[in-house]
Amino acid sequence: MNPFFDHLAVAAIVSGALAFFVFRFLRKRAGGKNCGSDCGCGTAKAGKVAR
Amino acid sequence: MASPASVSAASPSRPASVSAAPPSRDATRHVAIAGNPNCGKSTIFNALTGLRQKVGNYPGVTVEKKTGRFFGSHGEPMELLDLPGSYSLQVRSPDEAVARDVLLGRQIDTARPDIIICVVDASNLERNLYLVAQMLELNIPVVVALNMVDVAEKNGVVIDVMALREKLGVPVIPMVATKGVGLIELRQAVSRSPLPPPSICAQMPIVLEREVMALARQLPVAHEVARGEALLLLTLHDAALDAVTHHDTAIIAATRAAQQRLLTAGIDPLSAPVDARYDWIGRICAAAHHHGDSHHAASLSDRLDSWLTHRVWGWVAFLGMMALMFFCIFTVAQVPMDWIKDGADALANWVGNHLPAGDLRGLLTDGVIAGVGGVVVFLPQILILYFFLGILEDTGYMARAAFIMDRLMSKAGLHGKSFIPMLSSFACAIPGIMATRTIENRKDRLVTILVAPLMSCSARLPVYSLMIAVLIPGHSALQKAGIMLCMYLLGAVVAFAMAWLFKKKLLKGETPMLLLEMPPYRMPSWKGVALRMWERSGLFLRRAGTVILALSILLWAMATYPKPSDPQAPPAEALAQSLAGRMGHAIEPVIAPLGFDWKIGIGLIGSFAAREVFVGTMSIVYSVESKDKEDIEPLRNVMLGEKRANGLPVFTPLVCIGLMVFYVLAMQCISTVAIVRRETNSWRWPLFQIAYMTALAWIGAFLVYQGGRLLGFQ
Repeated sequence: MNPFFDHLAVAAIVSGALAFFVFRFLRKRAGGKNCGSDCGCGTAKAGKVAR
Repeated sequence: MASPASVSAASPSRPASVSAAPPSRDATRHVAIAGNPNCGKSTIFNALTGLRQKVGNYPGVTVEKKTGRFFGSHGEPMELLDLPGSYSLQVRSPDEAVARDVLLGRQIDTARPDIIICVVDASNLERNLYLVAQMLELNIPVVVALNMVDVAEKNGVVIDVMALREKLGVPVIPMVATKGVGLIELRQAVSRSPLPPPSICAQMPIVLEREVMALARQLPVAHEVARGEALLLLTLHDAALDAVTHHDTAIIAATRAAQQRLLTAGIDPLSAPVDARYDWIGRICAAAHHHGDSHHAASLSDRLDSWLTHRVWGWVAFLGMMALMFFCIFTVAQVPMDWIKDGADALANWVGNHLPAGDLRGLLTDGVIAGVGGVVVFLPQILILYFFLGILEDTGYMARAAFIMDRLMSKAGLHGKSFIPMLSSFACAIPGIMATRTIENRKDRLVTILVAPLMSCSARLPVYSLMIAVLIPGHSALQKAGIMLCMYLLGAVVAFAMAWLFKKKLLKGETPMLLLEMPPYRMPSWKGVALRMWERSGLFLRRAGTVILALSILLWAMATYPKPSDPQAPPAEALAQSLAGRMGHAIEPVIAPLGFDWKIGIGLIGSFAAREVFVGTMSIVYSVESKDKEDIEPLRNVMLGEKRANGLPVFTPLVCIGLMVFYVLAMQCISTVAIVRRETNSWRWPLFQIAYMTALAWIGAFLVYQGGRLLGFQ
């Protein structure tokens, strides 16, 4: 594989992983007190209600 | 009268000063299922809804909201809401407050139910009827699900269902929910249209009734809830009245005036409604409830309890059950774990054969597959753990465990009720911490929250399993189970010790008396246990596929970049020069006294996000470093062969045990920190918790390693 595309693919995947945590943090902050953890005690539904 | 502008937008419930306009409703009927704890409410909920369930939170409070959908006997859609278990609407805890608020239409995000299914434990009719009495005052159609009639029959209790129907004035459906008996009839009763509101309820003294109706007329709430709301307000005092009315001064003044008039008339507004209800219940029980032959009174539950709550045999039974659980974890789980491991290896091979050499291949094989696969392989063990915990809970044994623990807990200044959240923390500290909301005393609740994460949760299981495999690779499952049990006991012992310390020094208070309901033993609901295992495995895999996956990708990137300037540099040097390597080296001076090296340091850093990531991290670190990528050795063999600069092995028995002790004691879960922040409404306590647990973990691992070396162990 072309090294450029190799590095591009890796950069995209790593950026996606970073973006996941950023999005998760922002979603939890927007959900406020309603937002639970990812153990099942809080869901996106509760977050939507808060918004 | 206060204006609607006095309502705080952040309030979780509507105050009495706001008209209880219900949220918009479609054709779906809203059914709430209520009842005392341990009456089989959740069994009926699961039986009606199956997998069509959702778990969330009520806004503003940390109370679980469980909803599900089912279809009536005519195919009409129904939404079922499983309310928190309550003994009465006179609340003592946040979850009982939510049940009350939902039933009075005060819960902002939840429609007032159209129908209430009130589940009653037939073997404990008199006590359960108190909640029914209060339900009948709410002007909502009620169906009584008279559950556990088989247990009542075994105990020699005879219930005249027809007489009960007549006295209560509502449908009464005899049921054995664990066997599905009565479900069809329950569905039919709920589907009746229209189902009229109750016409019978406990008669209050005339003077009290007059005050209730007078107060009800002053409340700007819907007519159907006014009486129930007024009766509730008259039984509240001071802080409780303030909180429920959201400081509505007009209503508070009206309520206090009514209470004063009642006291002048010789009627205690707090106890008079309770007495009236129990008088009414007494008359119902006289007509419909009879005890049979007295020698049935020594029930199977009583005979079992004579052993299981014995001061010696009780402990033997408890430890025996825990040992059995861990033994199964090390034997039964092995075969499916090997399948998962072989699957992950096959996938890694396939990716390795189909992608050209490069960073992308490295990311997928050494990052994603090694990281996620390293965690997912422990799914069978976690399922076994939840299987046993589900059985213990469903059979009613958990309350006995709390009773046994009470003697020990009282020495720590807590009572046995604190043990139930702590026992739940064996699965996961998060629901365990949320379960502390049933502890009335604030200080006791706080102490329980502070020590609950010391109970070894399921996320530590992969770490223990890996370390035990490295520690004693060839030994029997029994020995491995023994070590695992020791780790769990260590967590429990330290939890008690810290609870004692906190109650003595930080959160001083009296040792409370334990008042605990011991439900009769019953056969577990296999469907309920299976459902819970399904839910937990789904959550575990979802977490593995999201948080663990993302963390593994980031950890791989940190362990790979920046690359050394010399492309021919050996993998070990490349790892040392990477960001993760540098971070590991940075904390090495702190962890070196514990016998840990910088690679273990990388694992510890990653673990502070999620404990189980340690295993994935080690997989990544040793995969990245592996010279021969064609030969995928088990991680434990790689770790066993790992040597320090002086040629000595890294993973000696002392290091393995020290690492396990570190994981027993350290706070390594961001999700738990977030929940503690939410439950305590402050950053002070979670930060304190992180600090004290990290210190404990360091000291514990230090004592193991350095103490062991002093004693001549290597």
